[in-house]
Amino acid sequence: MTRSVWKGPFVDGYMLKKAQGVRAGGRNEVIKTWSRRSTILPQFVGLTFGVYNGHKFLPVLVTENMIGHKFGEFSPTRTFHGHTGDRKAKRVETPA
Amino acid sequence: MARIAGVNIPTQKRVEIALTYIHGIGSTKAKEICVKVGIPRERRTNQLTDDEIARIREAIDRSYRVEGDLRRETAMNIKRLMDLGCYRGLRHRKGLPVRGQRTHTNARTRKGPARAIAGKKRTVAPS
Repeated sequence: MTRSVWKGPFVDGYMLKKAQGVRAGGRNEVIKTWSRRSTILPQFVGLTFGVYNGHKFLPVLVTENMIGHKFGEFSPTRTFHGHTGDRKAKRVETPA
Repeated sequence: MARIAGVNIPTQKRVEIALTYIHGIGSTKAKEICVKVGIPRERRTNQLTDDEIARIREAIDRSYRVEGDLRRETAMNIKRLMDLGCYRGLRHRKGLPVRGQRTHTNARTRKGPARAIAGKKRTVAPS
């Protein structure tokens, strides 16, 4: 079930303020956030967010393609290292 | 022999069935096309006139994305997800279900045929 259009995209309110602040501040610092549920808006393009995955803040550089996705999609919460005794297990690439 | 939208040569069947042999056209769109072009349901592909075939071809070209174009679009969408590094892209890369299905069991469509795990004891079924 997709979200009703009339509601507009869901974003935690403080994200907008934070993004604006960093934009105004000039220096492109990582915005730490726990709000994995927020939609990525066009205003966020070019900023770097540290998206919490329950363990640490993974830096996500927002590009134009990411608009419409949620922050959580870019910060995997599970690590899978392969099964025990799986000798051929390739090393799982560390998520960016 | 009718060639519509590239390589598809469905014959002998009713037009609305034959059209579904084109990738990207199912029964709904096939019926739509038949109505638009004005072909009766019972008409078979080998009974079509050249003019009718031309009109079907035009109707498809105008309003639907089929075959190669459609496949390319789908592949591009998947590629976009994979390049983006988002969760759905990761699932595509690993060949696992993308939409949150369980993978403990099942998921064989994505994972392919089951592979035997070395050293795993087979449990004997009680007789």
